[in-house]
Amino acid sequence: MYTLLKRTAPALALLGLGLAGCQPELDAPGADKGSADFSRYIAVGNSLTAGYGDNGLYLEGQLASYPNLLAEQFKTVGGGDFAQPLFNQPNQENGSGYLRLTGFTATGNPITANVTTNLAVRAITPQALYTRYDAPVNNLGVPGIKLADIQTPGYGSQVGNAYFERITPAANPLQTYFQRVKAEAATATFFTCWLGNNDVLGYATAGGALGPTAITRTDTFQLKANRIINVLTANGAKGVVATIPNVTNVPFFTTVRVAAIKATFKASNQALSLYIQTSAGVREATDADLLTLTSSSVIGTATSGNPFPVGAGISPTAANPLPSQFVLDASEQTLVRDATTAYNTALTAKANEKGLAVFDANAFFARIAATGIVSDAVNNTAAFISGNLFSLDGVHPTPRGYAVIANEMISAINSKYGSSLSQVNPNNYRGVRFP
Amino acid sequence: MTLKSLLLASGALLTGTAASAGGYQVTLAGQKNNGMGGVGVGLSLDQAAMFYNPGALTMVKDRGVQVGVNATMARQAFRSQYGGAQRELKNNIVTPFNLYAGFGSEDRKFAAGIAVYTPFGNKVEYADGWEGRYSLTGIDLKSIYVQPTVSYAVTDKLSVGAGMVILAYGAVNLQRDIPVEGAAGSGPAHVELDGKATTKLGFNAGIYFKPTEKLSIGASYRSKIDAKVEGGDVKFTNVPTSLGSRFTATEFDATLPLPATTSLGIGFMPNENLTLGFDVNYVEWSKYKILQFDFRGNNGAGGLVSPSGQVGGSNISTSRREYEDAVTLRLGGQYLLTSGLTVRAGASYDFSPVKDGFVTPETPDADRIGLTLGASYKFGNFGVDVSGQFIDLKKRTQTEADLVANNTADRVAGTYKTRVLIPGIGLNYTF
Repeated sequence: MYTLLKRTAPALALLGLGLAGCQPELDAPGADKGSADFSRYIAVGNSLTAGYGDNGLYLEGQLASYPNLLAEQFKTVGGGDFAQPLFNQPNQENGSGYLRLTGFTATGNPITANVTTNLAVRAITPQALYTRYDAPVNNLGVPGIKLADIQTPGYGSQVGNAYFERITPAANPLQTYFQRVKAEAATATFFTCWLGNNDVLGYATAGGALGPTAITRTDTFQLKANRIINVLTANGAKGVVATIPNVTNVPFFTTVRVAAIKATFKASNQALSLYIQTSAGVREATDADLLTLTSSSVIGTATSGNPFPVGAGISPTAANPLPSQFVLDASEQTLVRDATTAYNTALTAKANEKGLAVFDANAFFARIAATGIVSDAVNNTAAFISGNLFSLDGVHPTPRGYAVIANEMISAINSKYGSSLSQVNPNNYRGVRFP
Repeated sequence: MTLKSLLLASGALLTGTAASAGGYQVTLAGQKNNGMGGVGVGLSLDQAAMFYNPGALTMVKDRGVQVGVNATMARQAFRSQYGGAQRELKNNIVTPFNLYAGFGSEDRKFAAGIAVYTPFGNKVEYADGWEGRYSLTGIDLKSIYVQPTVSYAVTDKLSVGAGMVILAYGAVNLQRDIPVEGAAGSGPAHVELDGKATTKLGFNAGIYFKPTEKLSIGASYRSKIDAKVEGGDVKFTNVPTSLGSRFTATEFDATLPLPATTSLGIGFMPNENLTLGFDVNYVEWSKYKILQFDFRGNNGAGGLVSPSGQVGGSNISTSRREYEDAVTLRLGGQYLLTSGLTVRAGASYDFSPVKDGFVTPETPDADRIGLTLGASYKFGNFGVDVSGQFIDLKKRTQTEADLVANNTADRVAGTYKTRVLIPGIGLNYTF
C-alpha cells in the first residue's frame, strides 16, 4: 500500500492542482465609449422619459426609467452621476399614485385599483401639486408635455404642468421647458430626446372626440423639433433622437376587440351588434375600428331610458351607440397615422442633419406588436397584462418595457458612435405584478 | 447480497454530472478504462468488459468482483449576452459508480456475470438568480442499468456475449423559475418536476476476436431505452394567487431517450507489458428530437372551474433538442511497470450531439477533449485502481438572435465554458 501511495502521489498531486485550476474564467465583455462622451448626460422627453407607468409616476418606475438604465451603462465608459427628480421623500414613494392589479373577474378581465397612500401631493389647489425637487436634475422627462408646449411661458407654474412645476425654479415660474433645456444643454455632452408622443396621443386616447385640432400641426411640430435639437447640439453634444410610435399598436387600443364585443352581444341575442357614435353619425362597428381600454367598463352597462345596453343595437336608429371617446374609428386612425408619419419625417431629417443616432421607436413598437421580443426564455409581447411590456394603463411600458427600450437605444448609440456599451438584462426588470 | 439491497446501499452513489461524455451520457464504467481514455471495446482488461464489450468477457483471465466509484466535479463559467458578472455553478460532486461480478467455466468456454453501472446521468445546479433561471435552475437526472451477462467462446480466438440491460432505476428532478411577478419582495415563482422512470429492458451485445497475441478487435452494441416517467409530481411554489388557474397541474409524463451506442475497438499488445487501445463510439443521439412534458391533474389553485393540467396556461410543454448522432474517439494505453504496478494514460475527443444555437442549460454541451491518467496496484488477489480524467469543453456562444432563428428561444443567450475533473477509485478481488 505504501508503494502504491508513493507511486501514485504525483498523479494525486496533479489531480489536486487540476481541480484548483479547473474553474474556467470568461473575460468580461469590453466596454468602450467610441466617439461619444457620456460624462454629462441629460434626458429630454415626456412621460416615457420620466419613467411613467400604470397611469402614474412613482419611485419604482422612475428608478427603471430608460434614461436611468442608460446612465448605468454609460457609467462603465466614463458616464457621470445621473440625477432624477425622484419621489424619494419618506412615505412619498407612490408619487402621483398609480394603478395596481387586484385580481381578475370570473371572465378573466383584470380588476385594477388606485394606489392612494404615500403620495407626494403637497397641495390640491389650484391643482394637485407634487413635492418639489429643487436639486439639479439630469432627467428632464415631464409627463404630459407636447412638443407644442415647450415654449409656453407658465407651463412650469402652479397652473401649468404639475410635473414640470416641481422641477422649475420657484423664483422663475415662467421659465419655459425650452429655456430649461437650453440651460442644461450648455454643459451636457450627451442627450436623448424623445418628445412629440403627446402631440398625437391625447387625440387618440380620447377616441378622436377632441377633434382634429387636438393634433399638433406638422409645421408647428417641425419648428419646435428643430429648435430643441438645435439647442441640444449647440455645444457639440452627441445624442439620440427617438421617433414617435404609432399609438394604435399599444394595448390601450388592441385589448378590447370589436369582434369579441359583437360575439358577446350575439351570444345574448342573435340580432344584436355593436354600434358606435362617429363624427359622421351612428354606424355598426367594423373590425377596423379600435376600442379604447376604457371602453370595457362602459360597454354593456345599462342606460336609463334606452332599452339597449351601451354599445348594443340592431340598427343605427335602434341602438345605444358607444360614445365617440371610446372609439378610434378608421378615419380617426388615418389622422393619427398621418400625423405620426409626418412627425417622424421631421424628427429623422433633423437628427440626420445633425449626425445624431436615431432610435426608430415606431419601427420597434411595430415589431413588438407583430412578433414580441424574447429575453432569456421569456416571451415578451404587446399583449395587455400578460405581455410583460405594457403597464396597466395600456400605453406606458413596464420596467421590463423600459429595459428593452434602453437596449434598443444602446444599439442605436453603439452603431452610430462606435461604442460598445452592454445591454441591460430585461429580465432584471419586472412586467406586471400579480396579486 | 440481493439486487435490491445492492441498489439501496448505493443510493447515495449516483450518476454523472454535466456528464462525462457528450449529451447526458456518462462513460465511467470501468476504473481501468477510465485511466485509458475510456477505451475497452477491443480489450479484455477486467470484468468491466460486460459494459464495454460483453463478447470479451470469456477472454478476461480471472473471475472476480470489482467496484468503482468516481467523483465528478464540474466547474463552469457562464456569461450572459446582456453582460453582468460571470455565473458559476453550485459546486456539486456526483458519484457515478460501477459494480461487476463475473466468473467463467474452467475450460474458459463460458462466462457469466452481472454488471451495475450508470450510463446516463446529469446534475447541474445553477446559482440563484442566474440569467437562465426561466429555462432551468437545476436538473438531476439519474439512471442505473443492471445487466446480467453471458459470454461464449466460439473458438479460442473468437467469442461473443450479450447481456439483458435493465433500466432498474431512473429518476429526474427538473426545476425552473416561472416568469411571473408576484408582490414586491415575494420570492420567484418556481416549478419542480420530479419523477421516477418505469423499468425498461434493452440489451448489450458484443463480439471479440483475438487473431494473435498482439492484436484484438471488438465490436459492441448497446440498445436504446426510452426512459419514461409517468405521473411524476409537479410542484409549484410562490405562484401569485390570481394566476392559480394557469398553474393547476399536479402530474407530468415525459420520455427521455437513452440512445443506442455502437462501438468498435482495437487492441495492440506489442509486448507483454504494454497494451494500447483505440475505440470509436457512435451514439444515436438523433433520436432526441424534442423534450416534451404532458401535464395533468388539478391542484385546485384556480378554483373549481379552472382547466386541469395547466403549467403557464398550457397542458403541454415542448422544447426542441434536435440532437445529431455523435462520435467519440478514444485512445489509451497501459504499461506494466513492475509485477504489481500498472500505469495508464489516454485521451478522448467527443463530438457534441448538440447543434449550434441549441445548447440548453441542462446539458451545456460542446465538443470536449479528455485527458486521463490511471494506475493499478495489485497485491495478491486484491487490486486497487485509481484514475483521473480532465475534460475540457470548448467555449460555446449563442445569441438571442440565434435562438429566435432556431425556434429555441426557451433557453438562455450567452457563452458557456465548462471543465470537469473526475478522480476515481476502484477495488477488485480476483480468484
